[in-house]
Amino acid sequence: MAALKASAILLREHGGPEVLKIEETEIGDPGPGEIRIKQTAIGINFSETHTRKRPGGTHSNPLPLILGREAAGIVEAIGPNVEGFEIGQRVAYGLRRQQGAYTECRLIPAFELVAIPDDISDETAAAIMVKGMTACYLVSQTFEVGPGHTVLVQAAAGGVGTILCQWAHHLGATVLGTISSPAKADHAKAHGCDHPINYREEDFSARARELTNGEGVDVVYDPIGAPTWEGSFKSLKRRGLMVNYGWAGGRVTELEPLDLMDMGSLTFTKTALYNYANTRENMLGLANALFDVVSSGAVKIEIGQKFAMKDASLAHEALETGKTVGSTVLIP
Amino acid sequence: MIKAIRIHETGGPEVLKWEDVELAEPGEGEVRLKHSASGLNFIDCYQRSGLYPIDLPTTLGTEGAGTIEAVGPGVDNLKVGQRVAYAGGQMGSYSEARNISAGVLVPVPDGIEDQTAAAMMLKGMTVHMLMFKCYAVQPGDTILVHAAAGGVGSIMCQWANALGATVIGTVGSDEKAEKAKANGCHHPINYSTEDFAARVQEITDGKGVPVVYESIGKNTYEKSMDCLANFGTLVNFGNASGPIPAIEPLELMRKGSLALSRPTLFNYTADHDMRMKAAADLFDIVSSGKVKIEIGQTFALEDTAKAHVALESRQTMGSTVLIP
Repeated sequence: MAALKASAILLREHGGPEVLKIEETEIGDPGPGEIRIKQTAIGINFSETHTRKRPGGTHSNPLPLILGREAAGIVEAIGPNVEGFEIGQRVAYGLRRQQGAYTECRLIPAFELVAIPDDISDETAAAIMVKGMTACYLVSQTFEVGPGHTVLVQAAAGGVGTILCQWAHHLGATVLGTISSPAKADHAKAHGCDHPINYREEDFSARARELTNGEGVDVVYDPIGAPTWEGSFKSLKRRGLMVNYGWAGGRVTELEPLDLMDMGSLTFTKTALYNYANTRENMLGLANALFDVVSSGAVKIEIGQKFAMKDASLAHEALETGKTVGSTVLIP
Repeated sequence: MIKAIRIHETGGPEVLKWEDVELAEPGEGEVRLKHSASGLNFIDCYQRSGLYPIDLPTTLGTEGAGTIEAVGPGVDNLKVGQRVAYAGGQMGSYSEARNISAGVLVPVPDGIEDQTAAAMMLKGMTVHMLMFKCYAVQPGDTILVHAAAGGVGSIMCQWANALGATVIGTVGSDEKAEKAKANGCHHPINYSTEDFAARVQEITDGKGVPVVYESIGKNTYEKSMDCLANFGTLVNFGNASGPIPAIEPLELMRKGSLALSRPTLFNYTADHDMRMKAAADLFDIVSSGKVKIEIGQTFALEDTAKAHVALESRQTMGSTVLIP
């Protein structure tokens, strides 16, 4: 069969948002274990702006590269040795290390795909796979959030933050969250954040202590890194847990174990989805728990903004300048 | 006037001085305690050397047992003649007698002797903290314990057994391996002749362990991280070979979203209820016979410097007790 033509956003050089350009690509037939999907919605994650800007990082990806780790779509063709999927089925995926989602159409190993429940739209699925599975392991495995806990969510109005706040709130915790504007405070408040803290106007760790009668919080979820590093630790109660799951604001290269001791016998962990979704079984566990909590209405997914896929550069720009609220999706 | 081991400056064991000390009447909320035994712990060495900063001059020692000699105003739950023990919080156990806040004292059950109480309070409550709080050991877990024949290690091996865990333990000699085995360490590893990280992978079929109790520090922490399964916790509670230097956070992620915990007993016993719960659990397990406290060696309190030398040169086994 002749190769299919498909538009995709190709990264041919590292740089600003303007390097994201639409091009025509060719997609072959699915090989053994593969499926070809026609994508209907693509999620954007902050880490993709890092990959766009510079080579290397945690997982180096040679150029040219199609960015993107999560999307939803329809099964169009099934390769040999694939079971459990059928043509026309609605599916989604959230990748850990690989990229390749900013495209109309793609081949993908079947083991990466999850069937989307009927009551969840393609756009919602595309928006939540990576962010939602991340939120899932953060509240259920890294730290088992429950009634009586107080948690601090950094970037509470962001993609992961919006899900995290709602989920932690649903599990019975009191949720504190940092945000950077009154509009984001409103968004956070409407999504499970009991106490939004505008970090541009006040010292968030001092405020976190104040809100906890001087005790501090049980756990901090921090995807920011360098700018929030010290404040996050200072917000913790004795024996608290600091979870870093990203370096959106810059990487920290040193952690002194004795500092953890001096700050009150703290624990630090640096997590990544690829460790938690390391097998198909574990990935399905996260994805299905996510679909359940979204279907139940306890976690509402708000697509804050949609861009046509060809305008991926505008979407990146909005994300990097802190102008997005909730999730951002690209529509092919 | 009583005698005590005091330090005026930080340094080697030679800074420990046997001196006369005036002892006032117990103040509000305090009792005067006549020590019958004081426990020796690595934290004493860290405070003596300056690794853990403290105000000087002072009387060292964080663990002791004895009999109440006088009760100050405002103390109604303790009486003269009662046997009590304590650990953590207030230094000063390297003394014949002392005044101490009544709130930190725990009555010692009849079946437990003073020397045993002095030998087990800090180490036993440390083990409680490590195995119930820092990482809650579950039946079926396989855990790695460094210095498995030491004071904390000996208690940990036995208690972990009682919890239904499999214990891998590192030791520095074949003699210590035998000792660890006798305490319920299923897989003693002599780290001076074997690569413990490779052995842990072998024993766990490549899965690794969910927790490493790391008290050696600098010399072992890198390999300790290699022993951990995904989401495993490195619980660093000691620095026998020197403190762990700054680590790169990303390394924890690369090795499987690991966690690094840096507990001290103080932060787990500052809360009265937590402290009493830990002490009660400890007395229960020792009274049941499932955890036996072995006093490997005793020193006269006056010879505390010799005891520090022995501990720091890894010549002790089990707990060490100082007798006033």
